[in-house]
Amino acid sequence: MEPRNEEWTTQIRERARALLASGEVTCVIGYEMGTRGEPRPAFIYNADDVDRLVWNEHCVHNLVNYLHDKKKPARRGQPPPRVAVVVKPCDSRAINVLLSESQIAREQVYVIGVACTGLQDDSGTPLARCAPCGDRLPVVYDTLVGEAPPVQPAPPSYEDVARLAALPPEERLSFWLRQFDRCIRCYACRQVCPGCYCTTCMFERDDGLWVGARIGRDEKYMFHLGRAFHLAGRCVECNECERVCPMGLPLSLLNRMLAREMLERFGHAAGREEKMTPLLFQLGEEGSPI
Amino acid sequence: MRFIRDDHLRAWLDRLAGEYDLVAPRDVDGHLLYRPVESSQNIVFDYERPELSAKDFLFPPSETLLRITRQADGVTMEEVLPQRQQVIFGLRPCDARGLLAIDALFIAREPVDTIYAYHRQRTTLVGLACPRMWEGCFCTSIGGAPDGTEGLDLLLTRHDDGYAVQVLSDKGAALAAQMALEERAGEPPPSERNAASVPLPPPADWPAWFNDPMWSRHGERCISCRACTYVCPTCRCFDVTDEVIHADTRGTLIERVRTWDACTSPNYRRIAGGHNPRAKKPDRIRNRFFCKFHYYPTDFGPTGCVGCGRCILVCPVNIDITEVLRDVAAHVEGRSSQ
Repeated sequence: MEPRNEEWTTQIRERARALLASGEVTCVIGYEMGTRGEPRPAFIYNADDVDRLVWNEHCVHNLVNYLHDKKKPARRGQPPPRVAVVVKPCDSRAINVLLSESQIAREQVYVIGVACTGLQDDSGTPLARCAPCGDRLPVVYDTLVGEAPPVQPAPPSYEDVARLAALPPEERLSFWLRQFDRCIRCYACRQVCPGCYCTTCMFERDDGLWVGARIGRDEKYMFHLGRAFHLAGRCVECNECERVCPMGLPLSLLNRMLAREMLERFGHAAGREEKMTPLLFQLGEEGSPI
Repeated sequence: MRFIRDDHLRAWLDRLAGEYDLVAPRDVDGHLLYRPVESSQNIVFDYERPELSAKDFLFPPSETLLRITRQADGVTMEEVLPQRQQVIFGLRPCDARGLLAIDALFIAREPVDTIYAYHRQRTTLVGLACPRMWEGCFCTSIGGAPDGTEGLDLLLTRHDDGYAVQVLSDKGAALAAQMALEERAGEPPPSERNAASVPLPPPADWPAWFNDPMWSRHGERCISCRACTYVCPTCRCFDVTDEVIHADTRGTLIERVRTWDACTSPNYRRIAGGHNPRAKKPDRIRNRFFCKFHYYPTDFGPTGCVGCGRCILVCPVNIDITEVLRDVAAHVEGRSSQ
């Protein structure tokens, strides 16, 4: 293990050990080594198990999604369990989104923030999605592992989005229909998304009110566009939807298209601040303070 | 051995493409999939394991079972099934075994699923042996082989300037009769095996571990998507809904649609009144593996896994079927040595 990863792994383990031993949290959600030489999500309930935790540049998963599993108390009438979660800068924005939408309470989560220089693939090359990202520190944390690397934060880049948006509408449509044709409607994109937490997804209703049950192109088209709209102003661009897609759909292009709109038209970037009214909940005259 | 030269094989495939619904490995925007092809030009001959199994062409992701039309004097119902015979070319041996596993539920006993049986009857399976095992493959641990013949009508094996051809059934013989086959001396060498050795605890060993904490460990990180079941060549769960087609016909045309379903989905087991006996992820993950290795083999015969490894590759959170098998086997061994 590289010295820096070893050091950060040790810091995460020590923090987790202290939190669990003192009873401050009931569970630490972090990363452990999986069966294929890559980290995977881990749930640590016991201080004796903290040595399973690891950190390296392959910790891709956005673990904030698992906070939805911890929203309910173990017994009725009790408060929900307090848990710790390891987050990168992009993941941390999802915590703010969930706070803004009253999904979790701040005191319910202990945030172990990790400084980030960008994730890497097996060959050590930075992931494409990390290249344009300038975020080095989580936007919310209770403890910080690592230091902000000496890199100037860069403004977000939407070059790939702009390239696609510049195509004539019919070419864009045929591009997306080809992509959606490959979709198998496994819902991995939705299930992995911290922002997709509806109890009943409108695209999976028994009565098929908005979209039928078929795994057909039209249904998939509706699902993906609908999901993108529902995440407008809420997507934190963690890229998990694209990473988990078994059929390699470039889904982040859809979500980042809308994130770009939000930023350029309204100056709104989801999850940048702890208490931020979701843009689509803001009602008022243009230019008026709400 | 019987042998067909590359150019003769292509000519044969081109003729099949005209007469049959021909499905073969194809490059779809960088993804290797079994897909309909119009000619041998569209076929990829040198590939690993297609990303999805071939079950799509016998048990489609969604399929109209019945078209129901309401008329002034009553209701008409008709089946809408494809008419042409179908050939799946380039089927990997694991995918052929996957279909045998599905057969056990749908056609091996009454009541027969007549629509699946229809697809099965109209389809001839032409296998192409894997020259070696790929990343994640463990077919040899589940009773299969990269050059296995089980469930296939024909098996082709790459050799010199063409393919060795094994005829394995009457259906295969009928197709082979149209091939420009020649007799050659020798046999192609067997495919390379990898060192994968995954234990397969027998069905009877599973129930003792039903309440074991291991299911929480494997299941807690599950995100409840359906990727593992949809890429699986043996998963065969489905749902049926009636859909009104074209709202402007005011409900005069209705289709009864069968679509894939997945036990990993939270809704799968929900019952009338809203109760869900498998409301928690570990319950669902346990069911997935109990189904594959205990319920299905106990009730229907075949194991619900052929060792293709696809679920291992697609799982976003590394729920690894071989890790589960090793875990159960270690429990069994631990108990028997006590």
